[in-house]
Amino acid sequence: MFDHGQPSYAEVNKDVLSVMLETGPKYWMLLGTTMSVAGICFFMPWIYQLFVGVGAAGMNRNAVWGSYLSNFIFWIGLSHSGTLLSAVLHITNSPWRKAIYRSAEAMTLFSLMTAAMFVMVHLGRVWFVHWSFPIPNQMGLWPNFRSPLMFDVMAITTYLTASSIFIYMGSVPDFAAVRDASTGLRRRLYTIFSFGWRGTAREWHTLGWAYTFFAIFVIPLAVSVHSIVSWDFALSIVPGLHHTIFAPYFVCGAIFSGTAGIVTVMYCLRKFLNFERYIGQVHLDSLGKLLITLSLIWSYINILELFSSWYGGTSFELEALQFKLTGFYAPLYWEMILFCAFVPLLILFKKIRWSWNKMLVISILINVGMLTERFIIVATSQPRKFLPDAFGFYFPSWIELSITVGAFAIFATLFLIFIKWVPAISIYEVKETLKPLRRDA
Amino acid sequence: MSKISRRDLLQYIGAGGIGVVGGVLYGESVQQNVELLIPQVVPPEDYSPGVATWYNTVCNQCPAGCGISVRIREGKAKKIEGNPVHPVSQGRTCARGQAGLNALYNPDRIRTPLQNVGQRGSGNFEEISWDEALTTVGSRIGRLKIDNEASRVRLLCGRVRGHLDELFLQFMNLLGSDHYQQYDFTYPSALMAANKMSFGTDVLPYYDIRNAVFLLSFGADYLGTWISPVHHSLAYGHLRQGREGRRGKTIQIEPRMSLSGAAADEWIAARPGTEGLLALGIAHALVSEGHYHGSDRDEWSKALQAYSPSLVSAETDVSEDKILQLAREFGTSTASLAIAGGATAAGTNAVASIVAVNALNYLAGNLSQPGGIIFNPDPAFSATAGSRQAGFQGMLDLIGAMKAGDVDVLLVHDTNPVFALPDNVGFRQAMQNVPLIIALSSFRDETTEMADLILPTSTYLESWGDDVPDPGVGFPVASISQPVVATLYDTLPVGDIVLSLARQIGGELPIHMRWGTMEEFIKERWREEYDQRGSEGEEQEFEAFWQAALEAGVWGQPGAVAGDQPVPLSSSMIASIADPVSKFAGDESDYPFVLHPYLTATFLDGRGANLPWLQEMPDPMTSVVYGSWVELNPVTADELGIREGDVLDVESPAGSVRVPALIFPAIRPGVVAIPVGQGHAAYGRYARDRGVNPIHIVATLIDDQSGDLAWAATRVKLRATGERLQIIKTDGVTRTLGRQILGPENDHA
Amino acid sequence: MSTFVEKLRQYRKPGYYDKFDYHWTMTIDLDRCTGCEACMVACQAENNLPIVGEKRFAENREIKWIRIERYWEGEYPDVKMRFIPMLCQHCDDAPCETACPVFATYHNQDGLNTQIYNRCIGTRTCAVYCPYEVRYFNWFTYTWDEPLEQQLNPDVTVREKGVMEKCTFCIQRIRIAKDNAKDDDRRRVRDGEVVPACVQSCPTEALVFGNSNDPEAKVSKMMKNPRGYKVLEELNTTPSIVYLTKVHS
Repeated sequence: MFDHGQPSYAEVNKDVLSVMLETGPKYWMLLGTTMSVAGICFFMPWIYQLFVGVGAAGMNRNAVWGSYLSNFIFWIGLSHSGTLLSAVLHITNSPWRKAIYRSAEAMTLFSLMTAAMFVMVHLGRVWFVHWSFPIPNQMGLWPNFRSPLMFDVMAITTYLTASSIFIYMGSVPDFAAVRDASTGLRRRLYTIFSFGWRGTAREWHTLGWAYTFFAIFVIPLAVSVHSIVSWDFALSIVPGLHHTIFAPYFVCGAIFSGTAGIVTVMYCLRKFLNFERYIGQVHLDSLGKLLITLSLIWSYINILELFSSWYGGTSFELEALQFKLTGFYAPLYWEMILFCAFVPLLILFKKIRWSWNKMLVISILINVGMLTERFIIVATSQPRKFLPDAFGFYFPSWIELSITVGAFAIFATLFLIFIKWVPAISIYEVKETLKPLRRDA
Repeated sequence: MSKISRRDLLQYIGAGGIGVVGGVLYGESVQQNVELLIPQVVPPEDYSPGVATWYNTVCNQCPAGCGISVRIREGKAKKIEGNPVHPVSQGRTCARGQAGLNALYNPDRIRTPLQNVGQRGSGNFEEISWDEALTTVGSRIGRLKIDNEASRVRLLCGRVRGHLDELFLQFMNLLGSDHYQQYDFTYPSALMAANKMSFGTDVLPYYDIRNAVFLLSFGADYLGTWISPVHHSLAYGHLRQGREGRRGKTIQIEPRMSLSGAAADEWIAARPGTEGLLALGIAHALVSEGHYHGSDRDEWSKALQAYSPSLVSAETDVSEDKILQLAREFGTSTASLAIAGGATAAGTNAVASIVAVNALNYLAGNLSQPGGIIFNPDPAFSATAGSRQAGFQGMLDLIGAMKAGDVDVLLVHDTNPVFALPDNVGFRQAMQNVPLIIALSSFRDETTEMADLILPTSTYLESWGDDVPDPGVGFPVASISQPVVATLYDTLPVGDIVLSLARQIGGELPIHMRWGTMEEFIKERWREEYDQRGSEGEEQEFEAFWQAALEAGVWGQPGAVAGDQPVPLSSSMIASIADPVSKFAGDESDYPFVLHPYLTATFLDGRGANLPWLQEMPDPMTSVVYGSWVELNPVTADELGIREGDVLDVESPAGSVRVPALIFPAIRPGVVAIPVGQGHAAYGRYARDRGVNPIHIVATLIDDQSGDLAWAATRVKLRATGERLQIIKTDGVTRTLGRQILGPENDHA
Repeated sequence: MSTFVEKLRQYRKPGYYDKFDYHWTMTIDLDRCTGCEACMVACQAENNLPIVGEKRFAENREIKWIRIERYWEGEYPDVKMRFIPMLCQHCDDAPCETACPVFATYHNQDGLNTQIYNRCIGTRTCAVYCPYEVRYFNWFTYTWDEPLEQQLNPDVTVREKGVMEKCTFCIQRIRIAKDNAKDDDRRRVRDGEVVPACVQSCPTEALVFGNSNDPEAKVSKMMKNPRGYKVLEELNTTPSIVYLTKVHS
């Protein structure tokens, strides 16, 4: 578990809390950079688009959905990291999740928020987005619950709410640790945040029970959220999208991309927050094994998809298939296959699996591949629907590319803020893995 | 909470009160203008808000003369529909007719009289008043009249019929000038000449497509641009599915599939220029195969003996079997009709070709029969309008006169010869020799840009007038054109301008042309016509009749005896047959392709290019918008290594244009087609600097018999320039890919 | 339990109507249609369709509620061009209606697939779901060069950016006809009283429109023609437009 020897309880507190309590100029520079990039690459183009119209993006009559929606799905996919690690691995009692689950849950939350941003950017009249919520209104109208986008709204709000509560609840003892280690305003704030946690046995028991309950609750949520998001596509009759495999495909892909995202974030945490001691080979190894499993499942589902398109033999499906494999975006498609099906096979080799640098590269490539996959789904199916005379073409505009980049900056900003406000590693859970010290040490 | 002191309380109340008062004052000051539904306290007389009124008038977007109904709301024209009681349009419109509203509300309309202050053609105009303008023109013409040189005044206009034509004629006659001409690129002059030769008729006959069972069209795009597309479309619909169990068949013979070719059951791409020969071949087969039973069989046999199907087949590149099959179907059908137009009517053998087609009709026995050629009575008025068509020879004469300095004043109205004539006849250059050019037009097209003075005319939706549709519909018919909206700008209807000029010029002009406005003139003439025809047993007062005519927009006498239908002598028909040899400008080795310019359903001859709805209307055959293109057969494109979008230099012996290539499956390999309509150098923001005008590079060959411009007789060569231009199309993939889109069983993929 | 099943069945019906009051249907006779596009310009005039401009056409962002689709068949010289007008089919089992999260598109009691402009928030799901690609989005707020806006039909909303639009079977004309019928002794709308702009202008009379609930209506008789079929029928969208195939002779 610990590569460089087991730390003491006090050291755990000190290492983790020092990130929060001491802030150097490098942090401010980094935060400033990510906020500027977010502002320039995301918000300014978006505001321009609000004035001019969604036409500033590259979508057209043939492909009304574009990179905004594919980015949205990508970010929802990334959000499955936390749930899996936190909830699933909690139920299965995996010890190695303890150091990394807090950051993973944070990733979930922030990915969801970024995804929600993309919904806003995507809408034609975003100032009426509240109409998609079942809130009382003077028109006496409900939203349409038969719409997969309504399922989206319901699922994502539920998931967002549940994840927020989940991460908050799990952080309460750590907030108490922060409270105890700080003074002044911070102490007052964290007193409030930690709900006056005293660490009694009763409190621990309640926390454990509540946490397990939420873990069990959040798992079907995660599965359903991405299934529902996949049904945005699968409930259409568009060839190439109307497949029943989409729900498992998307959930698998989400967990896959989320796990790869965790590897990337873990690398950054180790590097920048000096958590080498807490996040070690065991974690990398386990994540790697998880990645390769998911990659194999993903490849299998992909083959199933291709097979069912081909086997069905309708002109519509075959055209969509052919355009995907050999059309204008074929290079992107094959790049996706390379990065998501073949590159992860390298993880089978221990040498690769145990190298942080190599795993970083692989995890980034996997996420690039997954981002491409969402884009392929959106860009190759819509322009090739049923009536050939209406076939068209979609190419993203500079605004869409800029906003894609900006979203990563938003995520980074949120994460940077997170590490200053919440202990990035779960202090009490890490302490649970420590062998108890001998009385006389 | 701590106690609030009295001072604090008073301070709070004071601040709050000031805030409230300030807010109210602010709110009052930025209050929006109250928006009233009725902008006037006293509502206007001529409309009730919220209630639509309909006015019937005549469309002027093409020479057919369809009657239209215009929906007016709050004094503004909202929608054009066909006039249900008008015999030509019968409640229907074409796309160009619908776009008439774009002409009325066009942002680039000329709103006041203009005077050129820069170099001629520079487009540097200054606004002047009507008084000034009319005085200048009137005094100039007046002086010429006094000096007995009024023959140096020339009036050139587009296709004008009805009493406006009479007004123009009277004006010029009173001046003492017989130089009143009309020029319309779309005028079927070859058809008129051929009909004169074959049937002895001066009036365009009624082609009864509606009742035909077998329609053989030699190049005539009757559904898109030929003569009267709305009426022909109505007829076509009936021909197809209007008769229980009896579906008519149509065949189209042309080198490039037009809209009518697409609708036809069969499209035959005979060698360009040989359609007339093909007609004679079919005629030969009709007689030799025994489908013709007239008493003059032998004379016909002799006249046609040189045109046996085997010989004709070699020349036309249509198989002998096909010729015999066509003859058989044409001869045995109960109602066969053959028409000619398009490139067939625009070669050096145009008249000869159409004469051959007329012979087919004679042999089918369809003259004056339902489903055949119905000869129209003389028009209700303005009987000789056709003779004012200058045609190409007339325009050459005009150019010669201008060059020689024989023209002092040139009045131009509703025609654009700078655009619609080949470049090398030099119309624009000749105009430089004319001291005073006056344009009576609504838009600054290329010809208007060359004017010294522009007297802006109201559009047809703002003007009084009348019209006799051409072709007639087999019985006497006259339409009334009335303004549907108040004049938008400081313009006058062209008739009113002429009447004003008459008053300015003085002398006997205003005595004879005593009407104040066109409305007066029209009404008086209609009263005369009404009195002439006698009451025919009806006790109607003229006023009641006039009101009824205005409401209907049209007057007609369906079922009236049309007078004697001309019965062409077979001998004269036989005598008119000549060998339809076609010649082309340019040597085949140098210029391997035949240029096929074609009138477009969107712009016709270019007149519609300034209307945004028409620019946005995808071309019916190619779906291209906002541009020009040259169509190539896929095989040709392959051979030359040309892809769609490659900009080609299309060069004829008379000039060249650069235009992107478009791959078009339905065109003969040795033929390239460029649509007519774009390529304007002026004419408003929607038309200018867009595409190319193929008329400019047409060589000035003429028809052997009528002297008319043979605009389909030019050869060209192609050269890839290496540039590419995006052709803006709305089409995706134009194959059904085996999908059942056009029907449950789609045999072709 | 039975009421629950009833309610469920009703919920799954398009627009929740058991039967339609009027069932507006159109037949398009492909043997008459010549592809002249008079219907396209008529629709543009009637429904305030924007003039999008050359740039937007190049980007494939035109708005033409009714369009003519072209299909070539065969190769030169046996090549044929087939036209088929494509407009909103007003499907009774419309894929687009279930897709809209805010009910901006729904099936009304006259069998029309209606679009409520002021409810639309622009998710564009309906356009993705539509197999006929007849939905058009306002990517920008289009304007008219003055004074072209004087021509705009006051009976039809002018749409702003972010709103989806499509053929409405000229619902404004249906509304006016129903109002007139109501004023006129509360009678029903008679066959021929409602004519959408495209049907009215079609020079070959290829388009016929009417109430297919009325067995005497012309459209009901046209629908029974053995040449009748529906486009993409196998998708089970139950369109309200019946096409009559072109006759091959």
